Amino acid sequence: MSGREISDVELFVTCLVDLVRPQAGIAAVAALEERGCRVHFSDQQTCCGQFAYNAGHVDQARAMALNFVQAFEGSTRPIVALSGSCAAMVVEAYPKLLKDVLSETAIERIVSRIVELTQWLQSSDPLEGAHEERIRVAYHLGCHMRRLLRAEDSGQEVLRQQGYEVVELGDADQCCGFGGTFSMSEPELSTAMADAKIAALKEVRQQYGVTALVGADMGCLLHLAGRMIRNGDDFDVKYISELLAGGSR
Amino acid sequence: MSGRLPYDPRPWRVRRDSALGNSSMRDTLQRVAGRLSKAKSTAYGDYQIADKWRLAGVAAKRRAISQIDELVVQVIGEIERHGGKVHRARDAAEAVRCVVEVAQKNGVKLAVKSKSMVTEEIELNKGLEDAGVQVVETDLGEYIIQLAHEKPSHILAPAIHRNRGQVKELFDVEADRQGMAHLANADIEQLTQFARQQLRQEFLSADMGVTGGNFLVAETGTIVLITNEGNADMVTSLPPLLVSIVGIEKIVGTWDDLSYLLQQPALSGVGQRLSSYTTFVSGPRDESAMDGPDQWHVVLLDNGRRNLVGTPEESILSCIRCGACLNVCPVFRQIGGHAYGSVYPGPIGIVVSANLDPSMPSFLDLASQACSMCYACSEVCPMDIPLADEILTLRNHRVKTMAEPLLVRRTYEMWGRLWSTKAGYQKTIRIARLGQRFLIQKKKLRWAPGLFGGWLKTRDMPLIPPETFREWWAKTHGE
Repeated sequence: MSGREISDVELFVTCLVDLVRPQAGIAAVAALEERGCRVHFSDQQTCCGQFAYNAGHVDQARAMALNFVQAFEGSTRPIVALSGSCAAMVVEAYPKLLKDVLSETAIERIVSRIVELTQWLQSSDPLEGAHEERIRVAYHLGCHMRRLLRAEDSGQEVLRQQGYEVVELGDADQCCGFGGTFSMSEPELSTAMADAKIAALKEVRQQYGVTALVGADMGCLLHLAGRMIRNGDDFDVKYISELLAGGSR
Repeated sequence: MSGRLPYDPRPWRVRRDSALGNSSMRDTLQRVAGRLSKAKSTAYGDYQIADKWRLAGVAAKRRAISQIDELVVQVIGEIERHGGKVHRARDAAEAVRCVVEVAQKNGVKLAVKSKSMVTEEIELNKGLEDAGVQVVETDLGEYIIQLAHEKPSHILAPAIHRNRGQVKELFDVEADRQGMAHLANADIEQLTQFARQQLRQEFLSADMGVTGGNFLVAETGTIVLITNEGNADMVTSLPPLLVSIVGIEKIVGTWDDLSYLLQQPALSGVGQRLSSYTTFVSGPRDESAMDGPDQWHVVLLDNGRRNLVGTPEESILSCIRCGACLNVCPVFRQIGGHAYGSVYPGPIGIVVSANLDPSMPSFLDLASQACSMCYACSEVCPMDIPLADEILTLRNHRVKTMAEPLLVRRTYEMWGRLWSTKAGYQKTIRIARLGQRFLIQKKKLRWAPGLFGGWLKTRDMPLIPPETFREWWAKTHGE
């Protein structure tokens, strides 16, 4: 790592990665460290509050947002979030949610520090020594990353930099059906949408022989993987950091 | 005052499951809605100036809504100056009563209609039929669903849920009724010919034409109708009596304003630069005219619209009913329009139904039931209506008015309380680990309480691991 500037970042691991896919967080730490970051983790962090906010439970979302602010206000480092959707929550919803309880500058101080993981990685130098052999993976871009953060290419771009060949699914702009607690309150509809996505995945599996489904939003991935496993299909589903840390290759 | 909209009394669960169980409808929808969405983005992509005009159109609509009271006065003056008669209807019942009275006074037996969502909103056909007037829909899609005794499943393409094989079956039944031979096959050309022949006779014998209005230009009192079949030309010129029902939000100030908006419904709805036919009506025929109606009645409908002016929700009155948000909506593509249980389906349908008719709980519930918050609708709306945010506002309203089941409410309250502190969050990890020890069967979770159980109905969920990320961090990085 000679020649790289060390930069200090805070990690916002997100509740889903923390609770059900810790290896994605561990891999993200490794991927960041390999690219010259010193990673800090504030253990006061819990959840950005998006699940409550998107369900209309604004008071609960606000309480979680305030905890988020307290967890990170002790430093001025960039906050790298392991979810496009959670990053979008902070950027888009916090200014509205917190405007009566925090000053505009206090909100701006937090909001301006949020960076989604692949956006961060895209702006840092790629690791040397990409794959010799091209590995093909399918990429799923979450809706909030696409439409709220407008980070349409960062995930695919960092994968390509590390030597992966990235295949997009047909009707890629269609939601996978996760939608936070929508996945729990409307399982039948949510799953019908997952099945459409999984059918599109099946096509690229057959056509291009992709070896994994990769994404940067744990919610979508849990939903799609959970559906495939229920149907007896244990196709590999990976959080993007798991493909980007040198040790994992 | 607020409006009243028709609704399907079946519970959401029944409407949804009946849609999800209809695989031929879902196949047709996926294909057609996908094609229309692609056509829209292609049309815009090839047409550099379109977006600039679109934005001018948005400004024109927003301006018109802010001046709605003045424009209503102006439009009434202009229409009556050309010999038309304007009736103002506060709600659906008043509008229907007014049209029925006009029909009865003129001894109308047969009415022909061009496609109009507002007449679906007020259930005009039922009102006229109850008064002994036969009503024939002349838009091809509307004609199809009228034969099927259905409601539209899409605001622009009312029969989008039916494939041509199913259309042929309907036409065969109609042919039997009239003692005609069946069509040889389900070619689109043959199907269209059949409808054309049928409708031609109706146009010629109708006593009354009924239209909606895509736009109503205030400065000249002109109604603008756009169709791809030319049927509005026939409806507005052949029968001796013409009635147009228009929501007050359709008024725009000037022809200049109209020029930015005129392309939008076809461009955003089906990816066409202009609809095939554009019909303008400014009054009944004068002495010099060869054709046109002797009388023209315009019903200006409120039905909950005026109430929204000046509220944070007023932008929804800018909707031009192009259907772009339906075409792109992943939920609409799965369940189609009927499952929404309102004449207005899709993202705009959720927002319009609940705001025009706040008294109907099933409309408010749709905000939570029929949306995954993907924001595709907000992105695609040519009138820049923040549809997803509007749906979020409705969800919040649902929470504030305690419209949710109590158990769901308590779940969010407890969840929110626990997860707003580190200690509470860690407590949930301990509870979840303890709980899953009892719930695991063959190394898998098969059941979970309350809201969480919904996930496990159709999908697996990984267990809470022996070491969460924060536990790993504390172990490897802790002091």
